[in-house]
Amino acid sequence: MPLLEVQGLSKHFGGLVANDRIDLRVDKGEIVGLIGPNGAGKTTLFNCIAGFYPPTAGNVQFKGEDITGLPPNEICLRGIARTFQIVRIFKDMSVLDNVMVGAFSRTNSAARAKQKALEVLDFCGLAAKKSLLAGGLTIADKKRLDFTKALATDPSLLMLDEAIAGLNQTETAEAVELVKKVRGSGITVLLVEHVMEVVMPISSRVVVLDYGKKIAEDTPEKVIHNEEVIKAYLGDKYHASRRAH
Amino acid sequence: MGGNKHKWIWLVIGAVLCLIFPLFLTLPFPRHLMIMIFLYASLGLAWNMIGGYAGQISLGHAIFFGAGAYTSTLMLMKLGVSPWVGMLVGGILSVGIAFIIGYPCFKLAGHYFAIATIAIGEIAQQWMLNWDWAGSAVGLTLPILPESLINLEFHTTKAPYYYVALGIFILAILATYGVDRSKLGYYFKAIKGDLEGARSLGINVSKYKFYALALSAFFTSICGSFYAQYVLFIDPDSVFPLMLSIIVCLVATLGGVGTVWGPVIGAFILIPISEFTRIQFGGGGKGTDLIIYGFLIMVISIYQPFGVIGISKRFKKKESA
Amino acid sequence: MLTSEIIWQTILSGILMGCIYALVAVGLCLIWGLMEIVNFAHGEMLMLAMFTAFWAFSLYHIDPILSLPLCMIVLFIIGVATYFIIIKKIIKAPFLAQILATFGLGIFLRYLAQFMFSPDFRTIKNPILSGNINLGGIFVGVPQLAASLICIVTFIILYSFINKTEVGIALLATSEDREAASLMGINSDRMFALGWGIGAACLGVAGALMSNFYYIFPEVGFNFALIAYVAVALGGFGSIPGSFVAGIIIGLVEFLSGLLIAPAFKYSFVFLIYLLVVFIRPQGLWGRY
Repeated sequence: MPLLEVQGLSKHFGGLVANDRIDLRVDKGEIVGLIGPNGAGKTTLFNCIAGFYPPTAGNVQFKGEDITGLPPNEICLRGIARTFQIVRIFKDMSVLDNVMVGAFSRTNSAARAKQKALEVLDFCGLAAKKSLLAGGLTIADKKRLDFTKALATDPSLLMLDEAIAGLNQTETAEAVELVKKVRGSGITVLLVEHVMEVVMPISSRVVVLDYGKKIAEDTPEKVIHNEEVIKAYLGDKYHASRRAH
Repeated sequence: MGGNKHKWIWLVIGAVLCLIFPLFLTLPFPRHLMIMIFLYASLGLAWNMIGGYAGQISLGHAIFFGAGAYTSTLMLMKLGVSPWVGMLVGGILSVGIAFIIGYPCFKLAGHYFAIATIAIGEIAQQWMLNWDWAGSAVGLTLPILPESLINLEFHTTKAPYYYVALGIFILAILATYGVDRSKLGYYFKAIKGDLEGARSLGINVSKYKFYALALSAFFTSICGSFYAQYVLFIDPDSVFPLMLSIIVCLVATLGGVGTVWGPVIGAFILIPISEFTRIQFGGGGKGTDLIIYGFLIMVISIYQPFGVIGISKRFKKKESA
Repeated sequence: MLTSEIIWQTILSGILMGCIYALVAVGLCLIWGLMEIVNFAHGEMLMLAMFTAFWAFSLYHIDPILSLPLCMIVLFIIGVATYFIIIKKIIKAPFLAQILATFGLGIFLRYLAQFMFSPDFRTIKNPILSGNINLGGIFVGVPQLAASLICIVTFIILYSFINKTEVGIALLATSEDREAASLMGINSDRMFALGWGIGAACLGVAGALMSNFYYIFPEVGFNFALIAYVAVALGGFGSIPGSFVAGIIIGLVEFLSGLLIAPAFKYSFVFLIYLLVVFIRPQGLWGRY
């Protein structure tokens, strides 16, 4: 049974069709990449799965349970955590406190939440900064914090929304390592990304969206040679046969 | 660590001073001043739960104060029930009011929420002004009962009132401490910090906003009941007005919202100023102390929105730099 | 006895008063929509306008019609001054600070006025605009009629200014997207100051007009401000014509509920409208969002 199964998901905003009958499957232990040109509907799909708005049609199943249209907090409690494109951290709280908020989703005890938070901070390499105010962190560290507090909710599936955009080379490499480490600890990852150097090497499968529809789904190697994908990104003038020269 | 030890010493000194205070100062005015300080500190702490921690700016809190005052008074006058019971019932009623007005209002953001609380507060005051059974504009004068703890009325000396007020104050501080260190406090702050971020971490925002408001309403209501027993007269203009809601908000803001001691500091600064201006410039409805309030509110919000505690934190940062 | 005359009378009075509410609301909406800061001192500024007209009349015998331009200018200055002295400093402040800053200003102004002018109710006796006229069996106060007409004219001028002039469009642009506007060379600082000035100037007009027939006292502004908040919410955030129409609707509701239900509760009904609107249709009737 797949961990996450999206069937026929559509999302309309008035007359605009942001997602058009999308099917998506994520199996336990995978890293699945979700790519596509700007405006393809990746974040919309994300938000529908994560409960930020209900889909217009279709359904979302997680661990066999129908979670379509549930609010974000319910989705988190069932084991899906997410990060945000524009980081949503609690800037007036310390790094440790931020992560504790995540940890509290699984316990009512402050002591246990603190312990869990410290463990996760250590795992993600932020332990040294635990007493700093979240608002004063660098962008890279803020993204790492966003990541860490999502991890503290003990998810089975971690959804990353362009977590790597805007980072320099070193930071990007560190982020990739962290994602691999997370998968290594048994958590499944679904990531939306623009940075190809990140998505391709780590994903076991890549799903490509364009104009709200799924246009390809395959291993990374096969996807970059897919004609539809190339057309979507580069326009009609370019296709695989040209690259051969 | 030196810092924590310091804190404990100050707390103990402060507690002892508070306890022996009435034994040394036997004149009614200093006692009255301290009672007012404790009352407003408790109100500030109560407001702090929803406004400071959870970040939902309520400007209609007087509705809970008035509900407490009127419930215990009416129960006393019509049913002969001890004001302590009335206080409890008032508190529960206020939680109920918080539930009814809270859930629809929590869907509102920012300014709309604040204005909604003003609107609700005004409607409540209007209603009470016209409710004859509850005294309408004339108000209710509490019956003079024999002095006793059960009756919560003392006529010869203010000292027992002082200790009751101190008791309420200590309860409010303990409750705030409890919230600050627990899941509730973290969740409240998360809601204030980033609502959608909080939701995505599993927080049922409406439920926790309600908890904050309920706690806040309960304590505010208790203060209202105490006030009625202390002053022995209530009317809609003294327990339901917008100014009361503003002052409560100001007390918390002046000291520092979202902290345990902020509202306490705020009360210790604001109430003496208010009482002294009232004496200096005389009553006479000139509202001179309110000119100072207005000015203070402006200054604080422009220059140090994080209150006195914010100022002291800045000092500490500079020292350690 | 509820005759149809009384009902029509009430309806007309409500609409006329509503036009004044409308202009007050438009001033608030302009500021609110421009920078998402609510002017909680709006009512007190209106009060200052009324007092300006009053003192011009009492001390210098200038009739309110003539002192209207004066009131407009005085309030414009007050608006701009408020922006530079207070508002500019709290643009980036936490939300609580933004609410409290203008609230504090309002309280400060109100009680300062009470201290300086005393809480007594004042009126302007026998201004040029006074008396009643008979419109087909219904009596209408001349000052109220004139006030509502001038409010409507003012609104039309303001609306044209915002939508047709370069400066006005710059104002609109700043309210939609401050950064994009500044990238196009629009100085948002100046736009904000202008917004505050114009918003306050609306109060200048409304205040001068009301001084003809309304009581003038330090607390007078409070209710008008509350009505303005309701009007802006009802009309829809960011919609200036929406606020204007909403103001008129509220005037109607206030007067009709005062007549048909109970005068003591008429404001409660206005607030009830607010609550109904924000719960059921948060974007108001014509709002942007």
